[in-house]
Amino acid sequence: MDVETPDTANRRTESRYRKDRRVGEGTYAVVYEATETATGRRVAIKKIKVRQQKDGLDVSALREIKALQELRHPNVLELMDVYAHKGNLNLVLEYLDSDLEQIVKDRSLVFTAADIKSWMLMTLRGVEHCHRNWILHRDLKPNNLLLAANGQLKLADFGLAREHADLNCAGRMTSQVVTLWYRAPELLFGARDYGPTVDIWSVGCIFAELMLRTPYLPGDGEMQQLDVIFRALGTPTEEDWPGMTKLPQYVQYRAYPKQPLRMLFKAAGQDALDLLAGMLRFDPAKRFTAREALQHPYFQNSPRPTPHERLPRIDAAKARDEEIAGVKRKLDALLGEDAMQLGGESTACQCLCSYHLLTFAYTATRLASLEDGATTKRVARRLSFSMGV
Amino acid sequence: MSSSSSTSTRPRSGDTPRARQTTLAALPNAVVTREQFTATPSAKRGVSRSLESQLRALGCEFIQAAGILLKLPQVTMATAQVLLQRFYYVESLLDVSLLDAVAGALFTAAKVEETPRRIPDVVNVLHYLRQRRRGGDTAPLDGFTQDYYDLRDGLLATESRLLVALGFDVHVQLPYGLMVNYLQAMGLAGNHALAQRAWNYLNDALRTPVYVLYQPHVLACAAVDLATRHCRVPMPTSPPWWEVFEAEADEIRAVCGWLGRLYADPALPANLPLTSAELARHLATL
Repeated sequence: MDVETPDTANRRTESRYRKDRRVGEGTYAVVYEATETATGRRVAIKKIKVRQQKDGLDVSALREIKALQELRHPNVLELMDVYAHKGNLNLVLEYLDSDLEQIVKDRSLVFTAADIKSWMLMTLRGVEHCHRNWILHRDLKPNNLLLAANGQLKLADFGLAREHADLNCAGRMTSQVVTLWYRAPELLFGARDYGPTVDIWSVGCIFAELMLRTPYLPGDGEMQQLDVIFRALGTPTEEDWPGMTKLPQYVQYRAYPKQPLRMLFKAAGQDALDLLAGMLRFDPAKRFTAREALQHPYFQNSPRPTPHERLPRIDAAKARDEEIAGVKRKLDALLGEDAMQLGGESTACQCLCSYHLLTFAYTATRLASLEDGATTKRVARRLSFSMGV
Repeated sequence: MSSSSSTSTRPRSGDTPRARQTTLAALPNAVVTREQFTATPSAKRGVSRSLESQLRALGCEFIQAAGILLKLPQVTMATAQVLLQRFYYVESLLDVSLLDAVAGALFTAAKVEETPRRIPDVVNVLHYLRQRRRGGDTAPLDGFTQDYYDLRDGLLATESRLLVALGFDVHVQLPYGLMVNYLQAMGLAGNHALAQRAWNYLNDALRTPVYVLYQPHVLACAAVDLATRHCRVPMPTSPPWWEVFEAEADEIRAVCGWLGRLYADPALPANLPLTSAELARHLATL
């Protein structure tokens, strides 16, 4: 029997997919929408950018491949294939068109308590599956919880994920993980031997965000983040969290009083608040595990979680139309301002003017790309976030 | 992955369906098929079976030595050796130089096991080991010499080639933890000499093909079996103790056979070819 060479096998995998359009760009990858030619199934291809070969292939790509190969679960994004092309790694993933962040931000959607319960249940099931396989996700946030067309929620973006079973690695993991607003307090204090409960903290923040419809703990920087957390939940004492003061980057914070969660979450049920409090406990040892959270009465009490097919979802076409309309309005406004300021003589006026021209150029490009359909909402939103337009 | 396991290049995931796997491993290790094992890419190009196994053993020896110099944990060194063994069931020693493959496997394993090492360090350690074997100058390389660039480029090229060759399956489930578990389950963990001996058998076995032929629980049982025989620790035989751990007698015997052959073999000759070019010249003189 003649065995196929790796190169032909690799090319055969590659030829099974057709890249259709560029969908988004992250720090280490470009995402394309593609089609599996044999079945017509829509897939996403994540092309890992080769950084200038300083450290060879990106570790996060390896981590993502390794984690996703091991995790097979209805609530975890499926890795269908991997192939190399001109030195780039390409990950073929399920295509999902929206994420929980879009849902939270879409003001036209109304969530019921049952909807929130359903999303929480799916998130925790995915997280529990990761933890049962000794994998920490380390970057849970609404943006990384993708939603399938049938409403199923799937954990995505395992670029920061890693195994945590190795005892020889204990105490040597980096604390620079998880997007700031969802980062657990032990990480902010520089803990290096943390465990699965860092993910549970993130899930707690997401739970709160689903109820509030706005990020729960939005800090501006690492120092300020702890301040925001303590202001919301009260500053912990050594009694609440034994060992806190021994953490590498421990600093004393102002002693904020503990406030009942009820103050902020006025409409939430007592069982929901109880679960939230359990997931946001300061001491990682006392914080709920994924399994404990799933066994919480909240999930058994009424209302029953909404079946995933009936959850609120984004109307993609409508969302794009709205965004285009918004950008157009902005352009008109900018045009008006510039016309007025062009008459001005002073340097300050000219500076302001060129600033506006820049903004104008940027906004115009954004509009063009939106109307083109070349970029989706997600990219546009990410850019607008970082550029502050 | 179900879809890519259909390619014949990738070592197959045995014939145990994943659902039936009851060991601690979430995924079974990739093992090679009979065809892949008997007709390796190197064998098809005229490399004799004994030379190939000597070169594989030498590669493993390099990895083990480099790992110690780079202060890597044994888990990383073992993973690298398994990756190297798997790699040469898909690629030929005449196409990818042994030294490059060693560098690529070690570098990848260090990333996979979350103990990354810098490229200059890996390159310099391998340069040192190579020069020592050839009796050349062992001074560290200047980062701007052709020799350094060659080694580095070889490493980077092999890194991606290795991933493609293995179908991106870099998952290696090692038997060390299982072996210790089994000893604990049988109340033998207190016997340090026994545990150490079993551990050493697992290390030595990395130089044989057993890691690409059998699943880790079989390797763990074989190591315990050999160690208990050597230390004269009586074990239950009817029914045999390994049945509890789902291993079979003939599998264990086969693993012990490979180890026996390893210990019977003389030390590796000093002038083994380290690169594809050297190997080609060596084959031409035969």
